[in-house]
Amino acid sequence: AFGLARFPQQCARGRGPASSSASSCLDRQTDISDSSLLVKKTKFGPLSDQDRIFTNLYGRHDWSLKGALSRGDWYKTKEILLKGADWILNEIKISGLRGRGGAGFPTGMKWSFMNKPNDGRPKYLVVNADEGEPGTCKDREIMRHDPHKLVEGCLVAGRAMGARAAYIYIRGEFYNESSNLQVAVNEAYTAGLIGRNACGSGYDFDVFVMRGAGAYICGEETALIESIEGKQGKPRLKPPFPADIGVFGCPTTVANVETVAVAPTICRRSGLWFASFGRERNSGTKLFNISGHVNNPCTVEEEMSILLKDLIERHAGGVRGGWDNLLGVIPGGSSTPVIPKSVCDDVMMDFDALIEAETALGTAAIIVMDKSTDIIRAIARLVEFYKHESCGQCTPCREGVDWMSKMMWQFVQGDAQYSEIDMIWEISKQIEGHTICALGDGAAWPVQGLIRHFRPVMESRLGQFQKEKNQQTTT
Amino acid sequence: MASAAATRGTSAAVKVVKPIFSRDLDEAKRRVRELYRAWYREVPNTVALFQLDISVRQGRDKVREMFNKNKHVTDPRVIDMLVIKGKMELQETINVWKQKTHIMRYFHETETPRPTDFLSKFYAGHDP
Amino acid sequence: MLRLPVVSRALSGVAHTKGYGAAAGNVRTAATTASNLVEVFVDGKPVLVEPGTTVLQACEKVGVQIPRFCYHERLSVAGNCRMCLVEIEKAPKVLNINSVGKSTHWLLWLAVMVLEDLNPVPVAACAMPVMKGWNILTNSEKTKKAREGVMEFLLANHPLDCPICDQGGECDLQDQSMMFGSDRSRFTEGKRAVEDKNIGPLIKTIMTRCIQCTRCIRFASEIAGVDDLGTTGRGNEMQVGTYVEKMFMSELSGNVIDICPVGALTSKPYAFTARPWETRKTESIDVLDAVGSNIVVSTRGGEVMRILPRLNEDVNEEWISDKTRFAYDGLKRQRLTQPMVKDISGQLVPTSWEDVLTRVAGALQGAQGKDVAAIVGGLVDAEALIALKDLLNQLNSDNLCTEEVFPMAGAGTDLRSNYLLNTRISGIEEADLLLLVGTNPRYEAPLFSARVRKSWLHNDLQVALVGRKVDLSYTYEHLGESAQVLQEIVAGTHPFCKNLAQAKHPVVVLGSACLQRDDGAAVHSLVSTIAQNVRVTSGVQDSWKVLNVLHRVASQVAALDLGYKAGVEAIRNNPPKVLFLLGADGGCVTRQDLPKNSLIIYQGHHGDIGAPMADIILPGAAYTEKCGTYVNTEGRAQQTRVAVTSPGMAREDWKIIRAISELAGITLPYDTLDEVRNRLAEVAPNLVRYDDVEEANYFKQANELSKAVNQTLLSEPLVPPQLTVRDFYMTDPISRASQTMAKCVKAVTEGAQAVEEPSIC
Repeated sequence: AFGLARFPQQCARGRGPASSSASSCLDRQTDISDSSLLVKKTKFGPLSDQDRIFTNLYGRHDWSLKGALSRGDWYKTKEILLKGADWILNEIKISGLRGRGGAGFPTGMKWSFMNKPNDGRPKYLVVNADEGEPGTCKDREIMRHDPHKLVEGCLVAGRAMGARAAYIYIRGEFYNESSNLQVAVNEAYTAGLIGRNACGSGYDFDVFVMRGAGAYICGEETALIESIEGKQGKPRLKPPFPADIGVFGCPTTVANVETVAVAPTICRRSGLWFASFGRERNSGTKLFNISGHVNNPCTVEEEMSILLKDLIERHAGGVRGGWDNLLGVIPGGSSTPVIPKSVCDDVMMDFDALIEAETALGTAAIIVMDKSTDIIRAIARLVEFYKHESCGQCTPCREGVDWMSKMMWQFVQGDAQYSEIDMIWEISKQIEGHTICALGDGAAWPVQGLIRHFRPVMESRLGQFQKEKNQQTTT
Repeated sequence: MASAAATRGTSAAVKVVKPIFSRDLDEAKRRVRELYRAWYREVPNTVALFQLDISVRQGRDKVREMFNKNKHVTDPRVIDMLVIKGKMELQETINVWKQKTHIMRYFHETETPRPTDFLSKFYAGHDP
Repeated sequence: MLRLPVVSRALSGVAHTKGYGAAAGNVRTAATTASNLVEVFVDGKPVLVEPGTTVLQACEKVGVQIPRFCYHERLSVAGNCRMCLVEIEKAPKVLNINSVGKSTHWLLWLAVMVLEDLNPVPVAACAMPVMKGWNILTNSEKTKKAREGVMEFLLANHPLDCPICDQGGECDLQDQSMMFGSDRSRFTEGKRAVEDKNIGPLIKTIMTRCIQCTRCIRFASEIAGVDDLGTTGRGNEMQVGTYVEKMFMSELSGNVIDICPVGALTSKPYAFTARPWETRKTESIDVLDAVGSNIVVSTRGGEVMRILPRLNEDVNEEWISDKTRFAYDGLKRQRLTQPMVKDISGQLVPTSWEDVLTRVAGALQGAQGKDVAAIVGGLVDAEALIALKDLLNQLNSDNLCTEEVFPMAGAGTDLRSNYLLNTRISGIEEADLLLLVGTNPRYEAPLFSARVRKSWLHNDLQVALVGRKVDLSYTYEHLGESAQVLQEIVAGTHPFCKNLAQAKHPVVVLGSACLQRDDGAAVHSLVSTIAQNVRVTSGVQDSWKVLNVLHRVASQVAALDLGYKAGVEAIRNNPPKVLFLLGADGGCVTRQDLPKNSLIIYQGHHGDIGAPMADIILPGAAYTEKCGTYVNTEGRAQQTRVAVTSPGMAREDWKIIRAISELAGITLPYDTLDEVRNRLAEVAPNLVRYDDVEEANYFKQANELSKAVNQTLLSEPLVPPQLTVRDFYMTDPISRASQTMAKCVKAVTEGAQAVEEPSIC
């Protein structure tokens, strides 16, 4: 949820998607240079069933080890491990996978940061399962219906970065999810898939599940590390980055559940297969959560770069009252700026397209709002959420978000001056980019999105209030 | 050369002294006498006006003492200056710009001298 | 605070985590890499800095001050106030990953680069290490805007009570809002109010003023070593406090008043008494322990208003203990202000200096050399010591003793190295093993202890203790209580000998409390032997000193340097007819020890223990009222300066003695302070080389001599007199007279709520 941070678009490699077969690529070494014959893809989605990674997303099958094996998890994991870290990293790099937690940092590059000469400290993989962003519900689906994907992903990702163990930091409120996940971990241990000599590969790897206490800020990677260490979940300063000094002072990579969970499938079906979905630099499949004023709210795996309208119409049964009843969409979880219907009409759901639309893909949690929505109140409620979840460590976020929240509720009433719209814009700019972590930015962006697209709504609300007040005084 | 010229310049300036009032010593002395008489006449008034606890005689003695204190001065310019100061004092006294304490300051020989040796300094106070 | 394993610390290099970070940079390390400096620019001005320097430090190097609240150079970096945001201008990009791939921090560099290029946000100068070619814009539009924004947020919920705030005039928030803030307020909402906490009788809290910079929390956990302070709640409701209602239990607690950038933590005794601009500041020295902390005495109208620390890297850094800071109200109570003489009925009646001096002089004239003796206490300056010694020597007496005992067997006090803290306080930072014997440095010398903690935290100093187990602010290995442990170490049979043998820079510190025992000489001899042995095994250079004695009173080293005998044994054995007590308040000699008709003269500043048994009382000056030389436990000569005049008829001590000598007909040859100091220089030149430590040597010889000591060890455990914080506050006449210190004792025994609050707040 948090990565929305400061790593927007930078997968620097110029590479197109290649339509390779979906067969196993375990027996060959792929290389970036292989993918030179490229045809630009223009239509994205719908995803065919055989291309889905999360085949038990709706919990219709057995989530335990037996069911997982039947769905192809843990298939030839040993061979993947034996291919070595460089091979795995290469596959991930080819796949063009970008972090699914929000920031969209190229995963291959991030994991390769860990491949430094060993200095005696163990390395750790930390999986961020503290899914707290309002609107987002993708990781919980993975953990309760497909936990073995995550456990296997930990092993593969851990192997790629030479990690000694993985810590899965799961949100405290996710009781059933953590329970399922723990069962899956136990099953994997008993089956010898993880632990000492994992999968018989000679590689030792432990997985620990750790439950948080329910704080949104612990989804920020360094706050999460602090929380694992038993301290207050308050983000650390960067630098040093976790890859240098992370959990317990050791090199650490923090990765989102979805990012980790797709890694084994990418390794099995090749990075080129994964890269064949979506636009250049935004490749792959992705879990989208559609909530709000739609007929059929759902979580669905789809191809990246699918049109927003397509996504909503096809999987969520359309906007309540038809597409024309749409007011706006928050496309990537509560921290991304809202976009109005005019933008929604033809925007693609991927990192770069949404950046162009002055918003962000975030966690791809689409919050649909129809025309019955009081958009000012909606944003005010979001800001109040951020006010409540701010850790209070650094000044702009602690003081600024509280201030914005107070002002937003006045805007809801209309009890404010016109000039205060500019003032709150300025305050949100004073917060943005001046904080330790991205929570400040996440709180500022919804307000900025509101002002950018719905300023007339706000102004009319203020005018309305003024008029009523004048009437009251005259009568 | 320049310094020599400057020296010459100053020595020349010393020779041609510009008088303040008096052209010679006699004239200066005359002014002193005038001032003395003025003071002499003023003392009874002062004693009465300020209600001083001294007799007129004591006052006149003090005036004489003050004049005698400077009797060694021979430079007419210095004498003139002293006379000017004396006149100012006199004016301040006549116009009652001074107060009683200021007048009585002329009689301050009762003030204790500051201690000089270690022991008396010790008895006197902290760090005199 | 977490003490991390050495591996990770060594590897962290320039980077720092919360916890040890920048503070580690303060620790003196022998080797620094002078080569491969990085060139950066501050507003276009080039400057060469070491890699890993933060932006803020680089700016400071060229004399540009970056505003800050949370950053403090002696604490770890928190980076949370965001006041130090500056804009960075990048060098033209020369991207060659291969060339930097070998460097440890390449990925850090890469990540920062990626981060910066795409989103040119201002960076927190206090935490960001500089990169080659950066141009730091400390005054650009963007920087100014960022500062103004942060300032506005800080002031949003800060109360507008500057006129009644004790921090007024020395408030960082006030100053910086004038410099960098906006000229108007846009905040129309209601302000936040926070409940005040009662954290003891020393620190007043007005938590509404808090800007959550967490300096106090970091001070408590890093420097003081107590995790009492912390934050509770989050977001706008975040509060700084002591989780549960309790006292901030530290002997260094007062320092949080100085580091608090706003008026949230202020001094309780100083509350509403003075403003910084109306006080006169006098740089002086503290004498309430043997460390000799450097202080500033703030006075107004002849009254000491408060005491603040003064920077001295070699002694106290910028901290002082609570006793140093808060015992000053003892200077106004229980003072001897008039000379007094006992009348026929046995009552002390006030009299004049002439009368009393004549009586003293008469008594001295009538006495034979051996009938006169003097005992000096712990707060006496070197000038008075030399004057008294000269006076008695003139009378053919050499019965001059200090209250504190020091074994005279062996080399005794003849070799200076025997009784000094030879390693020096700052030397502890280079040590790797510390053996404490019979001492509780935390309360005997809090700032020495703070230095030990610093070294323990950042340099992995290993600490061991022989003696009663005490609560130190660092972990230590407890080797045993009795002195027999020392014998085992000497014999090499103790398991700790292995650690000793491996030490590269060992330090042995002997508490002066052990020397007060009857077997002091034996203990000293054993410790000296341990020090000598370990010195040989460590193969350390001659400049490294191992043996140390930690004194507890300020005057002891100067007295021993001047040739005073340590201990009053001689006086008990040969009771004198005239006994001169110079600030002797230890109660070592009582009237019962003396013949019936003997005369006791007490000279000092407090009516404490010595004065009531005296026949004649001569009122002297306290340390804030005189120019005096004090030598701390390291042997460092420092001088106090006159901050206020002494009350009533009290006089400077050496002057009283000089006056007596004149009346007794044996006038001492000095009339002024300079002349006394010239005399001091004749006897012991090191006493007037101020702020300098005269090195002592001859450890080997001292050890050889000590081997001649033939004394049996007692079986009782080595118990330092100050075991808990309760024993810390009242140890000398001044702190015993202090109400504040009494309140502290009450608060630590009965809880902070036992001390009643002032009604105004």
